[in-house]
Amino acid sequence: MSNKLLSVENLTMKFGGLIAIDNLSFSADESQITSIIGPNGAGKTTVFNCLTGFYKPSEGEMILHKDDDSISLKKYTDFKISHKAKVARTFQNIRLFSSMSVLENLLVAQHNELMVASGYSIFGLLNLKRYKDKEREAVEKAKYWLDLTGLTPRADDNAGDLSYGDQRKLEIIRAMCTNPKLLCLDEPAAGLNPKESSELNKLLRFIKTEKQTGILLIEHDMSVVMGISDHVVVLNYGKKIFEGTAKDTRNSKEVIEAYLGVEE
Amino acid sequence: MEYFLQQLVNGVTLGSIYGLIAIGYTMVYGIIGMINFAHGDIFMIGAFIAIISFLIFGLTSIALPFILLFVLLISMLFTACYGWTVEKLAYKPLRGSFRLAPLISALGMSIVLQNFVQVAQGARTKAIHPIITGKFEFFKESDFVVIVSHLQIFMVLLTIALMAGFTFLITKTDLGRAQRACEQDKTMASLLGINVDRTISVTFIIGSSLASVAGMMFVLYYGVIDFYIGFLAGIKAFTAAVLGGIGSLPGAMLGGLIIGLIEVMWSGYISSEYKDVAAFSVLIVTLIFFPTGLLGKPEIEKV
Amino acid sequence: MNNSVELKKNIKDSLFTGLIALAIFGPIVGLRTRLQKEGLYIDPQWLMVFFLVVGSALGRFLINLNSSRKTEIAFLKNTKLSISNYFSNKGKHIAITGFLFAVAYPFLPFTDRYLLDVGIMVLTYIMLGWGLNIVVGLAGLLDLGYVAFYAVGAYSFALLSTTFGWSFWICLPLAGIFAAFAGILLGFPVLRLRGDYLAIVTLGFGEIVRIILLNWYDLTGGPDGIGGISRPSFFGLPFTNNLKEGENSFHTFFNLEYSTAHKLIFLYYLILILALVTNFFTLRIRKLPVGRAWEALREDEIACKSLGVNPTNTKLTAFAIGAMFGGFAGAFFATKQTFVSPESFTFIESAIIVAIVVLGGMGSQTGVVLAAIFLIGFTEVFRELEQFRMIAFGLAMVLIMLFKPKGILSNREPTIKLHGDKK
Repeated sequence: MSNKLLSVENLTMKFGGLIAIDNLSFSADESQITSIIGPNGAGKTTVFNCLTGFYKPSEGEMILHKDDDSISLKKYTDFKISHKAKVARTFQNIRLFSSMSVLENLLVAQHNELMVASGYSIFGLLNLKRYKDKEREAVEKAKYWLDLTGLTPRADDNAGDLSYGDQRKLEIIRAMCTNPKLLCLDEPAAGLNPKESSELNKLLRFIKTEKQTGILLIEHDMSVVMGISDHVVVLNYGKKIFEGTAKDTRNSKEVIEAYLGVEE
Repeated sequence: MEYFLQQLVNGVTLGSIYGLIAIGYTMVYGIIGMINFAHGDIFMIGAFIAIISFLIFGLTSIALPFILLFVLLISMLFTACYGWTVEKLAYKPLRGSFRLAPLISALGMSIVLQNFVQVAQGARTKAIHPIITGKFEFFKESDFVVIVSHLQIFMVLLTIALMAGFTFLITKTDLGRAQRACEQDKTMASLLGINVDRTISVTFIIGSSLASVAGMMFVLYYGVIDFYIGFLAGIKAFTAAVLGGIGSLPGAMLGGLIIGLIEVMWSGYISSEYKDVAAFSVLIVTLIFFPTGLLGKPEIEKV
Repeated sequence: MNNSVELKKNIKDSLFTGLIALAIFGPIVGLRTRLQKEGLYIDPQWLMVFFLVVGSALGRFLINLNSSRKTEIAFLKNTKLSISNYFSNKGKHIAITGFLFAVAYPFLPFTDRYLLDVGIMVLTYIMLGWGLNIVVGLAGLLDLGYVAFYAVGAYSFALLSTTFGWSFWICLPLAGIFAAFAGILLGFPVLRLRGDYLAIVTLGFGEIVRIILLNWYDLTGGPDGIGGISRPSFFGLPFTNNLKEGENSFHTFFNLEYSTAHKLIFLYYLILILALVTNFFTLRIRKLPVGRAWEALREDEIACKSLGVNPTNTKLTAFAIGAMFGGFAGAFFATKQTFVSPESFTFIESAIIVAIVVLGGMGSQTGVVLAAIFLIGFTEVFRELEQFRMIAFGLAMVLIMLFKPKGILSNREPTIKLHGDKK
């Protein structure tokens, strides 16, 4: 039985008069893949934006259980979510540093450790061994993930030159280079062909088991959702309408109604 | 008290000039999301065309009100051509480009316009005799006589008339509707049959025409112009547009009045050398603390 | 059949262009005003207008013709591509050749006093361009008020030198520190603003600095400026002809005939060294995490935030370091002129430096050099075209944005490679 990683309690997000998320509560465990699904406009990306510090929730709590600590994600905004709270995310429209190389993208992800090692650039400017060692370590870590996903031959190419599927993979391994406890993926399977989708599934399962990272997933592609989710949360119009295993979700009446409508 | 009233009158007058220029900034920003850095220089060109027209009409014996009307129309017409051309040449091709490209292009255009006028007209200032004379005096018995000149009344009335006209245009006509649609969603507007390019061109034409009116007023009010007035007036008018809420027409006018009043009051009570510093400081403070301005709408960035 | 329809359309287009050109050039060019004591007069320049209008219409006609011939465009494209490929492949060679040329420049046969002066000016702008490149090119922050840091450096140097009499070598780092401090002061509140707003705010700041320098008479001497700034000496040997008993100066120590050229050559190498330090620093810092973070911020700030990069601190660092180098350049400027006044620090200067960075290709060191040589050097030599120089500047900025928005040399090499250099 794995431990609870994330508890979302009574989360509400209002934009003026519009209630995008209404009193949402759910939880996600570490070493598990939790998928958030629902029709378009259900509020899935809004949940992500709240969890990852881009929106400040109107009400509610988001607790991350890290080691023996519990921290409230509400306190962290902007870059601190990744730096201090160790929550990483990818984006619906891939956000890579297109003019920079694949390797450079992975090194930027390790920015904070490298900054400290470079003595905030002083040691780096003086070309001290301390920094050079750390940089080599960082490159090794990047190479580890590149090898895992077969991207090593493209390491020095511009990230923008990669194929769509490779770009998606790169975005994920870049997020992994920040050593996150919780990885939030916004529609990672969008636009992937079946082969790429199954490679994605393999990667996510690897991350879940070998890295003990909790994964939170927004997806529309049901083959991915049903294939790898341990836990599913279904949203509709900002409210949770179902929470359970993948199998139960498939058979739930409320879920089917939400997606397909009710018979007249 | 009388001194304050005088500053008030002067401030409102100056504010009208800034407000008219600010409308151009705010309309363009509203529809294509860029700061038209060259807009201040369009105002300057309007002033030059006005001064030239006044010279030519001054040689005729047409009555003053008609001269004013002709100069107004001629300024608006020719300056509109400038605005239209700048948009077609320097901004339209860059509509899809990266964020800073139109800004740098606008900067380049501003430099071109300033120096074009400098080369064509010479670098010296140009002066003209006062055209609208006459004034009303108030508080004649007190130490300080408050003077409201006919010119000031003319300027404020003209501004009010133009504001009313354009508010009608924006809210009640097809053009205005098209413009508001393009501000919201250009792609959708074009799918619904609106000619987006033409709407944008018209926006520039309107903005430039109003700036040229401001230019004519500047000539009448100060009597002296040079090729550099666009730079300062442009920055202040842009400040006014941001202060009032970028994208809002009444906001631009309101912002213009506030900036005009601040400048005149600062000049009158504190120091006139640093009045431009006051304007720039208002700009910086506004952008940092009130980026949406007084009448603007807050923007939420979609991730 | 098709051709005559196209031709008709073309002619209509050209006539319309001519009409617009008439509106644009007619009043402003055609009716040139002249201020006499009695009033304003008008000198008609109809011939000029005629040429401009016909030229515009003709130009439009030719462009329309050309656009239907795709091969011409492809040729242009290929030429542009091969030029920039040539430069990026031979990048190192060009840099080394350029460096050797710059070192030898004062002693080349054609270099007279005037050209040496031009060389010093070009190098100053190159240094300013490299400094601004950190802010605009690497970090992607459009700073339209860079001249403010140049001014802070120049004036702090001037004040320190005239008030305390400290030497150049002490005042130089202090000038940089003051400028960096100004950079942090300005940067802190404004760096979270969006691109276009940041540009306008920095412009405003630049102007505020200039107006303060112009009006704070007690501190800065107002429009009169500050004079009598000391010149640097060559390791203690002054470049002077007025000697006291028993003292050495540069020319006596090296047993040379006194010449004012010595001073100038020394200044030339001084700015060369300062510029090279700027360049070396930039090349090294690009490979460090902070440099990479700058470029990443330029690419996508939101992605940076999601990776834990602190955007405010990162931007502030770029701003402060860029300002510092601007300050160093300012100190050099003050000592070269021995006099500073607010006139040298107008918005136009900021615009010129921005133009150099943008034209050269944001982030490209070599590009900045080429752009500076072209914009400053050429137009300085062809002084008669002074008036048209600024129009050419502005046009160049617009044209580069239209045709090659990433500048002349925009190919970027990664700062670190997994597989090493491949041929």
